[in-house]
Amino acid sequence: MSPVIDTNVQPHFRYNAEIRRYLPVAHQLRSVPDVERQWYQAPGGDYRQDLYGEHYPGSDPATVSRHLFDDAPGGMGVAFAILNPLTRGNIADYLLNSRICAAVNDWLLDRWLEPDTTNRFRGTIRVNPEDPKGAVAEIERLAGHPKLVQVGVPMQSREPYGKPMFEPIWEAAAAHRLPVAVHINGGNGVDYPPTFAGHAHTYPGYAAFMPLNYFVHLATLIVEGVFGRHPDLKFVFADGGYDILTPLMWRLDTFWLSMRDQTPWVDRYPSEYLPGHVRFCSSAFDGPLKGGEAGEMQRWMDMTGKSDLLMYGSSYPHWSTSAADVSAAGLDADQRDKVLWQNASELYDLTVQGLADQKEEAS
Amino acid sequence: MSKRRFVCSLDELPPGGMKLVDAGKFGVGVYNVRGALYAIVNYCSHEGAPLCLGLVGGTNESAPDEPDRLRRVRDGQIVRCPWHNWEFDITTGQNIADPRRRIRTYQVDVTDGEVYLTA
Repeated sequence: MSPVIDTNVQPHFRYNAEIRRYLPVAHQLRSVPDVERQWYQAPGGDYRQDLYGEHYPGSDPATVSRHLFDDAPGGMGVAFAILNPLTRGNIADYLLNSRICAAVNDWLLDRWLEPDTTNRFRGTIRVNPEDPKGAVAEIERLAGHPKLVQVGVPMQSREPYGKPMFEPIWEAAAAHRLPVAVHINGGNGVDYPPTFAGHAHTYPGYAAFMPLNYFVHLATLIVEGVFGRHPDLKFVFADGGYDILTPLMWRLDTFWLSMRDQTPWVDRYPSEYLPGHVRFCSSAFDGPLKGGEAGEMQRWMDMTGKSDLLMYGSSYPHWSTSAADVSAAGLDADQRDKVLWQNASELYDLTVQGLADQKEEAS
Repeated sequence: MSKRRFVCSLDELPPGGMKLVDAGKFGVGVYNVRGALYAIVNYCSHEGAPLCLGLVGGTNESAPDEPDRLRRVRDGQIVRCPWHNWEFDITTGQNIADPRRRIRTYQVDVTDGEVYLTA
């Protein structure tokens, strides 16, 4: 049985007002958007139907532990789960938003990471990119915690993440060897429309396109030289979209050959930055349809080296939660190991128990 | 088979100049780069454009401490393909972005004030 690391789990507050316990007194009476304030509702609700019960989906550590670690489909319980709680989008009061991020971080430590004696949960330092000084301060406050293994920011942004105002945040993350996970945020804040051309009509248009905004962040991080200046900086695009990476990198590589002189700090093909700087979490919406041409998935995964970039992420408790064996369907044995645990084990420096023994036996 | 052929008198090819010679399948451009002579094939290694019709100038390299982070270098020795702006160093035949994407270069010599190309 292959080990599994789940790199994308969203823990929730038990109820929306729970965040107020973790906000400083000066902010406790401010209005704070709910996580669920969204324009586009998923079919049948945002979370898995069977998770609406005694607790709000994803809000009870014992229940989440049981689902992820013990009762996983196919017996593929995960060895580690990376918790990435979502914040509330971009809020006009960016200083308040930084306090919301800090409250989420304190809650994550208090409710999830510190009580976890199984040592299987890892967490995310949420920061607000619209307040670069506050974001750097939050990273410095928490980077030393052994269970906080990445920095988290929204996909929604009013400038691409390669722009210079964000660079101090990425520099701080890289200095602490913390990858930066980009994930579509829960509540809608003061954001741009989800597509370049405006608002999609219904959920399928939104869900199909919104994750692809990652490519704007990625392209600017490469072209504006951020990856070049910060060799230790890594980005994780947690909403998937890895399947469209290849043709988009073809474009960047092609334009670089023609216009390299405009950005000479890009001193290699743009696609050559991927292995050292970029990872993706898997998503239920990515890849060819199941039951397609034989070997299609394997060949596509090896183009642009995508097998080395992708990490299994369940999106628990989202309605589209995907099981490990479903996410690995169509992959060959090597690709499967990389996606289910190896790539995540290397990125987050997680040693899967029992694995070292297996390796020794094999050698 | 390559052969040595007369191009022009050296007076007709001053620094910064180029003579396109009807040699081989695509022609060969003979360039005077700051007083030294070089020859490259008139055929871009990308999609076969007439490379020697491209502008000759310099290129930019990264200069992190400059306000625009750019520095102009190799002035007069870079040709830009007229179709897609690929840059080649006339003195080496190497593409600037990816030196593995070379173009062919040829021998040039000067005898008694006359320029000869071996192509």
